[in-house]
Amino acid sequence: MKLVLYSGGTGEQNRILDRECLSLSGKKFPKITYIPACSFDSEIDFKDFVHQFAEFDITQFIYFPIDIPFDRIIMKEAFKSDIIHLSGGNTFYFLNSLRKSGLFSELIDFVKRGGVLTGLSAGAILMTPTITTASFPKFDCDENHDGLKNFKALNLVQFEIFPHFKKSTRYENELMNYSKKSKLPVYALPDGSGILVEDETLKFVGKTYLFYQGKKCTLIK
Amino acid sequence: MAKTSSPKKEHNSFHSYHQFDQINGLHPFQKACPDSFVPYQARVRRGGKLAYFNFDLAKEMGLIDQEHPEKITAALSEKMLETFSIIIINEFDQINNRQFPAEDLKPNAYMATKYLQLQHPNKTGLTSGDGRSIWNGVFKGNGKTWDISSCGTGATRLSPATAIQNKFFESGDPSISYGCGYSEIDEGLSTLFFSEVFYRNEIETERVLGIIEFPKGISINIRVHQNLLRPSHFFCHLKQGNYQGLKNVMDYYIDRQKTNGTWTDLPKTEHARYDYFLRKMTDVFAKLSAKFEDEYIFCWLDWDGDNILMDGSIIDYGSIRQFGLFHHEYRYDDVQRFSTSILEQKQKARYIIQCFAQVVDFLKTSKKRPLNDFVKAQWAQDFDASYSESKRKNLVYKLGFTKEAQDFILKKLVVELEEFSKTFSYFEMAKSKKGIQKVADGINCSAIYCMRDILRELPQIILARESGLEIEEFIEIIKSNYASAEDLKENQYRNKMVALFQQQYIELVERVAKNQKTTIRKVLLDISLRSALINKYERVTGDSITTIVHKVLKLKPKLTPEQIFEVARDFSHYQNLNPDKKPNKNRADGDKVLRHIFKIVREYREGL
Repeated sequence: MKLVLYSGGTGEQNRILDRECLSLSGKKFPKITYIPACSFDSEIDFKDFVHQFAEFDITQFIYFPIDIPFDRIIMKEAFKSDIIHLSGGNTFYFLNSLRKSGLFSELIDFVKRGGVLTGLSAGAILMTPTITTASFPKFDCDENHDGLKNFKALNLVQFEIFPHFKKSTRYENELMNYSKKSKLPVYALPDGSGILVEDETLKFVGKTYLFYQGKKCTLIK
Repeated sequence: MAKTSSPKKEHNSFHSYHQFDQINGLHPFQKACPDSFVPYQARVRRGGKLAYFNFDLAKEMGLIDQEHPEKITAALSEKMLETFSIIIINEFDQINNRQFPAEDLKPNAYMATKYLQLQHPNKTGLTSGDGRSIWNGVFKGNGKTWDISSCGTGATRLSPATAIQNKFFESGDPSISYGCGYSEIDEGLSTLFFSEVFYRNEIETERVLGIIEFPKGISINIRVHQNLLRPSHFFCHLKQGNYQGLKNVMDYYIDRQKTNGTWTDLPKTEHARYDYFLRKMTDVFAKLSAKFEDEYIFCWLDWDGDNILMDGSIIDYGSIRQFGLFHHEYRYDDVQRFSTSILEQKQKARYIIQCFAQVVDFLKTSKKRPLNDFVKAQWAQDFDASYSESKRKNLVYKLGFTKEAQDFILKKLVVELEEFSKTFSYFEMAKSKKGIQKVADGINCSAIYCMRDILRELPQIILARESGLEIEEFIEIIKSNYASAEDLKENQYRNKMVALFQQQYIELVERVAKNQKTTIRKVLLDISLRSALINKYERVTGDSITTIVHKVLKLKPKLTPEQIFEVARDFSHYQNLNPDKKPNKNRADGDKVLRHIFKIVREYREGL
């Protein structure tokens, strides 16, 4: 299993993670599929994403929005890629679209086949067992427009993540409270940080904080 | 991707609205072209409220200051109503000796302009023109001059109803519809949503400045453009052989183009100016014919030169459509007749220029020669050359090539592009075996292939596979919901065309790569990025606009004018398909109304 969970931030901030991600693919010039959280204006984000990888001379990309109807030709091609990236966006909308598209199992199979699945922010949360961390704190959460009740996600890892973490009392209190309820460790990642998963091994890049059973632990300062 | 909104300044009650005072009925056209309008006294129309105000346009014009918050202040609302909530005192009022309070009377007369309209029994424009509109006047701001007119300000003598029934109507007479002089809010909203999308995509158009709403869905829809003259404003004088009337309109128009800085290299002598005018008009109408075809815009052009402005801008959105596929057999049913089809628009545009050639000759010689004398003049060659060049430009743009690559292809690969164009056209023109069918407002024989889909996906797939598509894969991508099993039955010729399409496409890519001394992958990647936006899955259609307007009207009791402004702006931003100009800001995908609208656009994307 090869996963890369990005918190967020600029291309510059994520350069190390990008490099690690390419290395995980085992290819110098892997083919990458970009799945936007929402098709709205995602062409712009796709362009930014392509430019982010341009410095590694990557040229083979597939843009694959899944919240609009798609044909099986582009879908097959997307799942033949070496890397699939799930973009940032509204986590609830993304999860809902992914379910409706019927691609949940395809993504899990892709990972089982050895493909590298990466995700940024919402995309990263989707790889965990649940998207609950997208629903708090109230002052900085995704809106659940469609009233999604089932928060179960891809369940590829046995931890949760909290992207765009800012080291402040109010964030920490929220996470502390949540960690008392959650059975899983919650990794809080500021922008530019991320987690690499290779089979059973976790590698943390950038500042990382762990919230678990009401306690906070700084993993990387 | 939570909704982001820029912080708005607190309302400043000291914003000045004195610029509105320029808009008072007076217009230079009245003095320059006394034969070309009917003056009407106007009075205040009470009971209206501002339903929409276009802050962006008002700022662009200089009507409000740049710092004005996007909020309808009490003062702004009052000024809009004072300026635009008016109704004419028409012939019916006069005959019936209706009296109105002196304080309700506007000081200046407002004009209803005369122009040719084919639906009038008198085919010379003596009785036709603005049937339910008046021109509010002219506005000078930010170095430009803007014409402003309002639709729904009362029944004029120039409406078809008056001409046909030979009587004057009371404004709002419920016994007739179009001739009653009123307009409806759905018309205003349709125009608003469509025109803002076109404007963003650099398709010339009138724009909506505001909508004033009255009970029972009645409204005054205020339109703005830098020059609201139509070819039909010229053609009525031409038909009548009215030399002076025609000359007045011509000279007025040319002067306005000059003062607006639109025509910067205008010659000095009168005859040379007229020749220049003809060359400009030829170019404008040739380009618009190509643009309309390639963007699948249905605009009912006809010999009267109505439904279009002089610079090719779209006006009167009643029958305007943008198709999702190339539905080239669609005709609008206007009760007494069917409209032209999208492919016939070019011939009508050509005919309009032929009339302008006659106009120019008439003005230069004072003699009106028969129109047939102008069939084979220089303009015809110019028109065809400009049209063909535009078609090539449009295609190479739609393919997604970068500007540099476009220039190279247009200069060095014309033959190859023309060949590809024929293959492209084979698929684009393919239509359903079901034949002509009735549709909601006309007839159509549906197109069956979605060219936008193949242009979006093909470069990505070639890039990923480093080879093309199998025949069945190509058809799987390109087929639309209109294609039946019968339509999709395999045949040898189509198989050959699938192969040819890809072969010619790849050849263009390879030649560009060679010229740019880069890899085919790099060229394909550039194409992929641009084509993803140019050929976006969801592009607005006429059907989607109609449905969006129904949705907005349903929600409207709760929607404030500011919210309608925001929705229209965000929607047009989302429909901006220009990869060179798409700004990355004002994301509003979380908005509930917008999400409904996106869904509608998606649902109707292949329609009419």
